[in-house]
Amino acid sequence: MPQYIRLIAQGKYTDAYMVNRESNVFPAILGRTCDRPCEPACRRGRLDGAPVAICRLKRVAADLKGDISHLLPKIPTESNGKRVALIGAGPSSLTVANDLRPLGYEVTIFEKQNKPGGLMRSNIPSFRLPEKVLDDEVGTILDMGVDIRYNSPVSSLQGLLNDKYDAVFVGTGAPRGKELDLPGRKDTDRIHIGIDWLESVAFGHIDKIGERVLIIGVGNTAMDCCRSSRRLGGKDIKVMARRPRGYFKASPWELDDAEEEGIDIVINHAPKRFVVENGVLKGMEFERLEWDAEAKKSRVIDEVFLPADDVILAIGQENAFPWIERDLGIEFDKWGMPTVDKATFQSTRPGVFFGGDAAWGPKNIIWAVAHGHQAAISIHNHCQGVPVTDRPKQGSNLVSQKMGISEWSYHNDYNPSKRQKMQHVELTKRFQQLNIEVELGFDPEQTAREVQRCLNCDIETVFVEKRCIECDACVDICPVQCLTITRDGEESELRTRLSAPATNLEQAIYASNPLPQTGRAMVKDEDVCVHCGLCAERCPTAAWDMQKFDLLIPYAGAPNSGVSCTTSSVLA
Amino acid sequence: MPSIAKPIATHPTLQRNALGLTIRDYEGSMSTLCAGCGHDSITAAIIRALWELDTQPHMVAKLSGIGCSSKTPTYFLSGAHGFNSAHGRMPAIVTGAGAADRDLLYIGVSGDGDSLSIGLGQMCHAIRRNIRMAYILENNGVYGLTKGQFSASSDIGSKSKRGEPNRMAPIDPVRLALSLGATFIARSFSGDKEQLVPILKAAFTHRGFALVDVVSPCVTFNDHEGSTKSYKHTRKNTLRATQADWVPPQSEILAQISKSGTTSVAMHDGSVVHFSTVPKDYDPTDRRKVAAYLDDQPANAVVTGLLYIDPNAPDMHELGQSSPTPLRDLAYEKLCPGSAELERMQEEFR
Amino acid sequence: MHDVLRTRVNDFAVKLANVNGTGSASANGLLMQAIFRMGIPVCGKNLFPSNIQGLPTWYEIRVNKEGYSARALDYDLMVAMNSQTYDRDIKEVRPGGYLLYDSSWPLDPDLHREDITFLGVPLAELCNQNFDDPRVRILMKNIAYAGAMVATLDIDMDVVNALLEEKFAGKKALADSNRKALLLGYQYAKDHFECPLPFRLEKMDANKDKILIDGNTATALGAIYAGCTVAAWYPITPATSVMDGFKGFCEQYRKDPETGKNNYLIIQAEDELAAIGMVLGASWNGARAFTSTAGPGLSLMNELLGFGYYAEIPAVVVDVQRVGPSTGMPTRTQQSDVMMAAYASHGDTRHILLFPANPNECFHFAVKAFDLAERFQTPVILMSDLDIGMNDWVVPRLTWDDSYKPDRGRVLNAEDLEKKIGKFQRYNQEDENFVAARTLPGVSQKGAYFTRGSGHNKFGGYTEIPDEYQEVMDRLKKKHAAAAKFIPEPEYVPREGAKFGVIAMGGCDPAVREALDQLDRQGTPADYLRIRGFPFGEVVERFLAKHDFYFVVEQSRDAQLRSLLILETAVPKEKLRSVLVYGGFPLSSRHVVQGILSQI
Repeated sequence: MPQYIRLIAQGKYTDAYMVNRESNVFPAILGRTCDRPCEPACRRGRLDGAPVAICRLKRVAADLKGDISHLLPKIPTESNGKRVALIGAGPSSLTVANDLRPLGYEVTIFEKQNKPGGLMRSNIPSFRLPEKVLDDEVGTILDMGVDIRYNSPVSSLQGLLNDKYDAVFVGTGAPRGKELDLPGRKDTDRIHIGIDWLESVAFGHIDKIGERVLIIGVGNTAMDCCRSSRRLGGKDIKVMARRPRGYFKASPWELDDAEEEGIDIVINHAPKRFVVENGVLKGMEFERLEWDAEAKKSRVIDEVFLPADDVILAIGQENAFPWIERDLGIEFDKWGMPTVDKATFQSTRPGVFFGGDAAWGPKNIIWAVAHGHQAAISIHNHCQGVPVTDRPKQGSNLVSQKMGISEWSYHNDYNPSKRQKMQHVELTKRFQQLNIEVELGFDPEQTAREVQRCLNCDIETVFVEKRCIECDACVDICPVQCLTITRDGEESELRTRLSAPATNLEQAIYASNPLPQTGRAMVKDEDVCVHCGLCAERCPTAAWDMQKFDLLIPYAGAPNSGVSCTTSSVLA
Repeated sequence: MPSIAKPIATHPTLQRNALGLTIRDYEGSMSTLCAGCGHDSITAAIIRALWELDTQPHMVAKLSGIGCSSKTPTYFLSGAHGFNSAHGRMPAIVTGAGAADRDLLYIGVSGDGDSLSIGLGQMCHAIRRNIRMAYILENNGVYGLTKGQFSASSDIGSKSKRGEPNRMAPIDPVRLALSLGATFIARSFSGDKEQLVPILKAAFTHRGFALVDVVSPCVTFNDHEGSTKSYKHTRKNTLRATQADWVPPQSEILAQISKSGTTSVAMHDGSVVHFSTVPKDYDPTDRRKVAAYLDDQPANAVVTGLLYIDPNAPDMHELGQSSPTPLRDLAYEKLCPGSAELERMQEEFR
Repeated sequence: MHDVLRTRVNDFAVKLANVNGTGSASANGLLMQAIFRMGIPVCGKNLFPSNIQGLPTWYEIRVNKEGYSARALDYDLMVAMNSQTYDRDIKEVRPGGYLLYDSSWPLDPDLHREDITFLGVPLAELCNQNFDDPRVRILMKNIAYAGAMVATLDIDMDVVNALLEEKFAGKKALADSNRKALLLGYQYAKDHFECPLPFRLEKMDANKDKILIDGNTATALGAIYAGCTVAAWYPITPATSVMDGFKGFCEQYRKDPETGKNNYLIIQAEDELAAIGMVLGASWNGARAFTSTAGPGLSLMNELLGFGYYAEIPAVVVDVQRVGPSTGMPTRTQQSDVMMAAYASHGDTRHILLFPANPNECFHFAVKAFDLAERFQTPVILMSDLDIGMNDWVVPRLTWDDSYKPDRGRVLNAEDLEKKIGKFQRYNQEDENFVAARTLPGVSQKGAYFTRGSGHNKFGGYTEIPDEYQEVMDRLKKKHAAAAKFIPEPEYVPREGAKFGVIAMGGCDPAVREALDQLDRQGTPADYLRIRGFPFGEVVERFLAKHDFYFVVEQSRDAQLRSLLILETAVPKEKLRSVLVYGGFPLSSRHVVQGILSQI
């Protein structure tokens, strides 16, 4: 990540996009929709409470990139003679296609809808992800010569297997929204399943909703539902949560966005029954709860009735494989989930692979993409007669970044800027049309500031103890007191003796071998190291160096791709 | 990118002293000395000592002469006035500044060229006057800025970077100060903050001239094999005569040598310097015994610690019986005898 | 000739030749002071050796009812008390004059002159007969010749007795022996000579508003009145008495009545390098501080004077000039530090100089020096000399305006700094005189800055960038020029029909004024301009544009004032002619008249 952030900083958006695309084939899409699992890991958050807006920067690179066609892998004109079927045109399948087409595989995707993208299209409203952005990045893959068959739901896996594909990849997602089986559920047609409703909105089947809407559940789907409702005529929209804040599944920024649009998030309410009179939905009854923070459970206080014209259920989704015959050698567990190998993504039937939400239930796009890459390696192995368990090794590179006596190849200064705030379209404008993208993206100034917040985790402090003369220069200069020269000791005790106590137990500390002059150890607590390189700059003997760490992540047929990755410090 | 200032990022658990300041608030601008210079470590020790003493930055004046060492006042306490004077002249400037305002803490930073050659006289006379200041002599045995000549503190036999041995006897600032009647004499090593920081705290508290001679290796011109001021040589030959700890006022005051080899000396402001791991019979308040102790150590030993202290000797202002109010703060009305007196007194000129 | 002498009242010169270390100074001073108290204009010049005991020393007393107070070269009476110098002393008596000598021993017949009268007084014999202690005898011999002079010159005995009473108040034995010795000489003269001599004294009333004071004492008093609290110095002739005086006044005026502590600190430094350093340190820290020195000390101070100039720190230096180069003649006077002082230190430096002409100006210029130093944040050198500094001058009484407030210059206090947005910039935002505000240590963190003698920009930061360096240097030059408006204006004395101008400074003034009167009487009128400070201002430029040529009268071989005028004004070099007297004794009008007439 630091690698592409640096490229953005240099204005090399196309290069940044391509670095990004190495590990993630949908930078523009994910730059808008990602759940951002990377951001909590970002160490910037440890310093000023807010991680680098990695996701938003992805979008900057994607939005500002130039033509990439010449940079994409060459697609061979000849087939390699192997045919692969991918079920569902969602992110995992598309990733598999992306990795296999350059190797000459004939790839066929079966999609039940008339457009590609899977949940990226059906479940993410267009005001968050404009259709054009989706079409562009999906199109890049489809343009690699993928045979995509729309309106082609697979109703029988057996049938597909009969077509003698060399491998089959199931990327059908988790298509079934969870039910809320309460009294009155079936007495009206104004109670909707969230993901289905979103899909209907996405495909234009639904274009309005009642003024009073209750959304049950407080995950990201609920957020998409409430905000979509706002654009389809909803005026009094309440998102009903069983627990207090802090326990919500929705990403904090999605909650913020919803509340900004006037959505009422109601906590400590448990649905009791739907109130339907004469086939007309009147509202819902809820139990009002009191949350006991210590016991971590709720107590019922009383009951309330909230009127509603529509209710949308957004309480989760699950997998459903009614179309997979149970006698094909594919094992399912008692919840109807297939048994899938965590490393190879292969089911119990060789040649049949699962990925994305289809493999282990709902997660998110970024994971689906990762699954796709791994599954593609397996499919490639499988088709080439190599055991699928035979995974290419990850490699790594360390390269010194020293350019001159006090010059480094990267921007090593710490920028104290706060995380940049995403600018939004004005409220009055954004509801005029369903597909007006709310987030405007970072402007150049914001981008410049945000990229400078990156701590360059991939540029590591590398220490060679035999060179150290214990002059203390590194210890003295370190702005965040990461370094200590002290006698070595047992870790938990050593942590208390450092320049600043190392309290983040999740962050390993590093102790060198005994130093030449006194036998003490150089100890580094990576926790809040800002990678300014001053330790190396002030080191008279080059015992410290700043070296760029490249983690080489393998892809199908491309074992040497290099991607900078967050790792920790190295003590050689 | 090229050299940067020390980032303002701080550790989330960064502590604050009684004034609510962090140690970072006691820093100055980035050092332009060679990487690994002992002087930078001393700077860090000064920063720590001042922070731990809850010193108000603006109540410090930091002064220096010329040379590598004399650059360092820029690198600490940017909230204090600094004065980078001429070569060897810092003691006079401090003397004058101290005459004007007796309430500030004066930190003089000097080197072996600045103190033991061109400024030897001024240093000696500042000692004589018992100027209230901490005089930090960053001693590396070499002229760094002019690229490697021997200095007056180079030991006999110490080799220059080109291999030439020094043949003249060194001037030892500790012995010199002892003979001149200095009231606070310490030696330490830039690479030993555990010892240096408490010594500096005691020096900053001392009411009089506090000499802190700090062996501070020059990584560029005097850290090679054969040098007696290298990190390696100093570490190998350091002989800790005392380990001092400075205890703030309001703590219990002990004032005699105990049998356990522990000595405590009450400072004038009520703080206490507590000596531990003191050799038997070592009395840091007895000038003759200290001299005898130094005589008894091997020639190549770098004897460190707070070696001599007399917390009660009168300083320049006490010797001069001058006003308790800083002279610069006296109202003009108090200073001018006025026209009537002029008229009267001129009768004496008739 | 004798007739002329007979008619002369209150217009003659006496020279006393002594051996130094014998206590003659107090006898000479007594005579001088007695004449002063008689209300007669008088001047005394002490021509003394750089020695404590045994070498020749002279004292000259000139009495002139017109008030001319320069040294006279014609002596009506020589009091020859030093047998080593009889030879030259006898030669210096004007024809028709008198020589008073100790006739306890016969005078060498070879020394006899027909044209003067020898007055022998057996002083040693008289003292040996009347005093037991050999040391006392030597001292009393001086008082005895004074007694003889009281008789021969008709000095008012009551005045002398009153002086002795004041001087020995509470010391009866001493008073008695002095009175006794005085009478011995007095009576001997009365008994043996025709008293008074043809030239004599007569009471006048010219000294009512005058005092008798030396320049160094007046300078010290100025420092007291300026509110100076810190002084640092290294003993040197002829500046030592500045600090002696300052110490004396401090003991008198600066002992705090409440605390009993000293509201001053005088530091006797290890050398002048340190003395100026201490002054800079104290001034930097907000005290008014000064040092006093002479040429050799100023040479040493060059280093830090440049520092003070470049880092813009106030400092007051009193240079009591003596004869150079090198050690030169420490007890003789000269004006030969001018060029060094103007540009003291390496690099492009220039300083503010003040040239007092007499002790009265020493007092006022000393106060001015502190004001200028603080207003312009730079060293100011008060260019006195041995003649002004160590000789007693009759000058108008010193006056003081109680509404005076010291000009402390632009100094930001804590309140100013609190209001300040952003970092304090030491050398930025200069006023109309190109002076930027400074801050003092110990006031506020917001005022912290780094004082350095190394290259710096207007923000006070270190620099090696040509433009940034030059910006500061250019402002410093403008600042120095701006000071011209604040230094005392030159004294301009026009004269009708003047065909040329005469320029002088400092202690040359009395001789030049007398000479100009003489020239005028001889039909050679000249305009006069006495320069009182550097940088030169408008008045100097205007004066230099008035005539075709000028005489610059000064006491240095190399015509230093002339050089400075050529360098610092628009005057063409050829227009300035020199009259130079630099042997070490104060100037006489005769030097000036001869010097000018020989070049017209």
